[in-house]
Amino acid sequence: MANDKSISQLLSRGILSENPIFRLALSMCPAVGISTTVMNGIMLGIAVFFVQVFSSVTISAFKDYIHPRIRIPSYTLTIATWVTVIDLVLAAYMPGAYAKMGIFVKLIVAFAIITMRLEMFACKEKVSDSFWDAVGMGLGFMVGMCVIGAFRELFGSGMILGYDILGYKPLLFFILPSAGFFVVGLMMAFFNWIEAGYKRKKGITS
Amino acid sequence: MNMKKLHKLLFVLLAVLLLPGWLHAADFITGKSFGDDNEIVVKFAGPVDPAVAGNIEKYTVFEETDPDIRLPLISADVADNAMSVSLKFNDPLNTTQTHVVSVKGLTGEEKTEFTVAKSYLGYLFSIMISALLIQNFVFTKYLGLCVFFGTAKRKSTAKGMGVVFTLVMVISASMAWFLYQFVLVPFNLNFLQIVIFIGLTSLTVQAVDTILRKVNPVLFNSFGVYLVLVIANCIVIAVPLIVADNNYNYFETLMLALGAGGGFLLALYLMSSVSERLELANIPPSFKGLPMAFIVAGQFAMAFLGFSGLQVF
Amino acid sequence: MKEILNITFRLTVSCLLAAVVMGSTFIITNKAKKHNEHVREQNVMYSLLGYSETNPPPESVSMHEIYRYVVAEAGQQFIGYLVPGAHGGAAPFIFVALDLDGKLAWQKPVEAEEDKVLELESRNAAILAAIGPGKDISFAEQAIIVTDDGTRIAYLMSGKFPGFKTFIHTMLALDPKYTMLGFEVLEHEEDPGLGAEIEQDYFKNQFDGKTFDILKSLKVIKEPLPGEYQKALEGKVAEAEIEKMMDQYREQDIYALTGATISTKAVTVGLQGIAKKFAYRLDTLDSVLKEQQIAVSFSN
Repeated sequence: MANDKSISQLLSRGILSENPIFRLALSMCPAVGISTTVMNGIMLGIAVFFVQVFSSVTISAFKDYIHPRIRIPSYTLTIATWVTVIDLVLAAYMPGAYAKMGIFVKLIVAFAIITMRLEMFACKEKVSDSFWDAVGMGLGFMVGMCVIGAFRELFGSGMILGYDILGYKPLLFFILPSAGFFVVGLMMAFFNWIEAGYKRKKGITS
Repeated sequence: MNMKKLHKLLFVLLAVLLLPGWLHAADFITGKSFGDDNEIVVKFAGPVDPAVAGNIEKYTVFEETDPDIRLPLISADVADNAMSVSLKFNDPLNTTQTHVVSVKGLTGEEKTEFTVAKSYLGYLFSIMISALLIQNFVFTKYLGLCVFFGTAKRKSTAKGMGVVFTLVMVISASMAWFLYQFVLVPFNLNFLQIVIFIGLTSLTVQAVDTILRKVNPVLFNSFGVYLVLVIANCIVIAVPLIVADNNYNYFETLMLALGAGGGFLLALYLMSSVSERLELANIPPSFKGLPMAFIVAGQFAMAFLGFSGLQVF
Repeated sequence: MKEILNITFRLTVSCLLAAVVMGSTFIITNKAKKHNEHVREQNVMYSLLGYSETNPPPESVSMHEIYRYVVAEAGQQFIGYLVPGAHGGAAPFIFVALDLDGKLAWQKPVEAEEDKVLELESRNAAILAAIGPGKDISFAEQAIIVTDDGTRIAYLMSGKFPGFKTFIHTMLALDPKYTMLGFEVLEHEEDPGLGAEIEQDYFKNQFDGKTFDILKSLKVIKEPLPGEYQKALEGKVAEAEIEKMMDQYREQDIYALTGATISTKAVTVGLQGIAKKFAYRLDTLDSVLKEQQIAVSFSN
C-alpha cells in the first residue's frame, strides 16, 4: 500500500495535499481559538508535532504487540501519555508560552488527526516511515497555524512575532477570537479555489 | 421513560433544590440581600425599634474573609413600617464575597449575626447560563468544532448529537469529579488528569452504547451512531479539566456539564437551521461546504460575543 | 476466555508503562516548575521596585516576608501574622495574634527554618506546632517589606479582585507612605484588544506616583487619554519631560480604556481595596509591635 513512499513524498503529503487544517478539516479547535499570533501557532505546532511524532513512533514500534480488539484504547493511552509529558515539560520550562495556550495543550489528546493518523498509517507501516509521516503531519499543522496566525496578527495588531510591521492596528476584529472562524473559512475557500484552478488547468473534470 | 414520569422527576428535583430557601423562613430575619452598589437591605418578621435599627453605631459589617476590616456605614434607614432597614456604605460592596452583619440589641438580644451573600442557587444557575451562553463552548471557547461541523447539517442530526452529548457529558463529568476528588487530589496525582479523564469518557461512551443497545434499540438506532463521535469532541475533555482547575463541588460540576451540553445543543441547532437554508442559496463553488459553514459560525460567534459580561445573578 | 485474559494483560502492561513514563516526567519537571515560578515572581517583584537585569538590586536590599493568617479559637477569630524575628533574637519567627479590634491577643515564637516557611504545608505545620492545640489556622495572604540597610523602602503585595470577566490577579508595590510605586497584572481573562489592555504601560503607569490620599478617592473618567500624557506613560519622551507630565497629571483620575470602562473600573476599585486594607493592617501591626516591644527584622 504505502510501502515505497519516499521521505519527500511523505513530508509533502503532510504539508500540502493532506494538510490537516486546510484539507482534512481536522483539529480546527486550536486553529480558530488561539491562532491570534504567530508565536502561539509555533508553540502549539511544536507541541502537536512532538505528540504526533512520539505517538506514531511508539505505536509503530509496538504494532505487533497491540491486540486488534483494544486498538483504540491503546492509541488513546499512548496519545494521552505523550500529551501529559509535553504538558508537564511546557508548564515547567516555558510557563509564559504555556499560559497563553491555556487549555489547548491538554486538549491535544482529543485531536482526531492524531488518532486517525495512528489508525491509518502507524499501525501498519514501519517505524521510519511512520516517523516521516508524523513529521509531515506535524509540520503541516504548524505551517497551517502559522499562516493563520500571521494573517490575524498582521491585520489585527500590525505585528508579526511581536515586531511592529505596520505601526498601527488595522482591524482589531482579527485578533478577537470570532475572527478565527472567518479567516479559516476564507483560507479554505482560497485553497479550494486554487485546487479547482489547478484541476481545470490539467483538464481534469472535478 | 415517558413524559409524565419525567415531569414528576423534574418537579421533585426542583422542590429539593429549593427546600433550603423555605426552611429559612423560620428566622426573625426574613430577607437579606444586596441592594444597590453600596447597599444591604434587611427584612424582619416583625417591627423593630428604630432607635436600635436606625443607629449605625449598633452595626458591625465585614466581609467573611476579612473579619478585621470593618466596612464603614453612612446610614441605616428604617422603613416606615419598621419591618425593613436599608444599610448604606461609603464604598461600593464587593458582592462576590459573603458579608457578615451583626447588630447589637435587636429585639432585646445581645447580638444578632447573619450573613448576606448572593444566592447560592443563583450562583449555580449562573454557572450553567455562563456555560450555555456567555462562555458557549462552541462559539466562545472554540472547542468541539470538528464534530460540530460534521453534524450541523440537518436539524435531526443536530438534535440527536446534542442530546447524546449532553447525556455523556453529565455522566462522565460526574465520574471525573468523583475520581478527581477522591483519587487524584489526595494522592497528589494531578498529572494523571488527562489520561484519567479521557479514559473515563471512553468508558462512559462504551457503557452508554451497551446499555442503550439492550434497553432501547429504537433509540439506539437513531442516536447510537453519534456516540463514537463524542470521544473525539474536545468539550468532553475540557469540562473535567475546568472542574479540576476551579475545584468545583459536585453541584457546580453538574451545572457546568449541563450548560456545556446545552450550549453545544443550542449551537448545533442554530447552525443546522442555517445550514438547511444555505443549501438553497447560491454559493460560489470554492465556498461550498466547510468554508461557508466556517463563515456562518464566525457570524454566530460575533453574535455570542454580545453575551460577554452578562451578569444573571 | 483466553482472549480476554490476553487483552487484560496487555492493557495492564501498557498502563503500567505509561504510568512510569508520566511519573518520571512529573518528578523531573516538578522541581524545575517550582524553581521557574519562583524566579518569575522574583523578576516581577524586582521590576516593580525598579530593578532589572542591567540594574540589579544591591546587597543591602533585603526582603522580609509577612504571612497573614485567620485564627479561630473557641468561636473567636483572630488575625495572626507570622513575622521574621530580629537577627540574634529569641526565635527566627514570631506568630503575633491580634484580636479583631487591632489589639494584641497573644504571641508565640516559631522555630522553623527559612525554606520550611516558604512552603504552605510546612509553614502551617510549624505554626501549629508552636501555638499549641485548640486553634484552627487558615492562610490568608502574604506581603513583603523591602528594606535597604534597615530602612523600609517599599511594600510588595499581591491581590485578586473581580474583573469584567472573571478575576484579575495583580501584584503591587507601595512606598513606606503607601504611595503607589506600580503594579503588574499577573493573570486575567479579559478580552484581547479591549480589557486586556490593562497590561499595557499606558494604562498601568497612570497609577504610578499617586499618593495614598489620591489613591483612596481615585475615580475613572471616560475621556480619551491626552496624547502628551500617553507618550510620557509609554516612555517615548525624555526623562525630564516624563517627570513633568507625571507631576501634572498626578491628581488626575484614571482615563478609561477604549471599550473597556468596566475593566478599568474593576482595576481601579480593586487596587484601592488592596492598598487600603494593607495600609490599615500594617499600621495596626506596626503599632502593636512597637507597643509590645516585639523585635522584628523590619522595624523602622
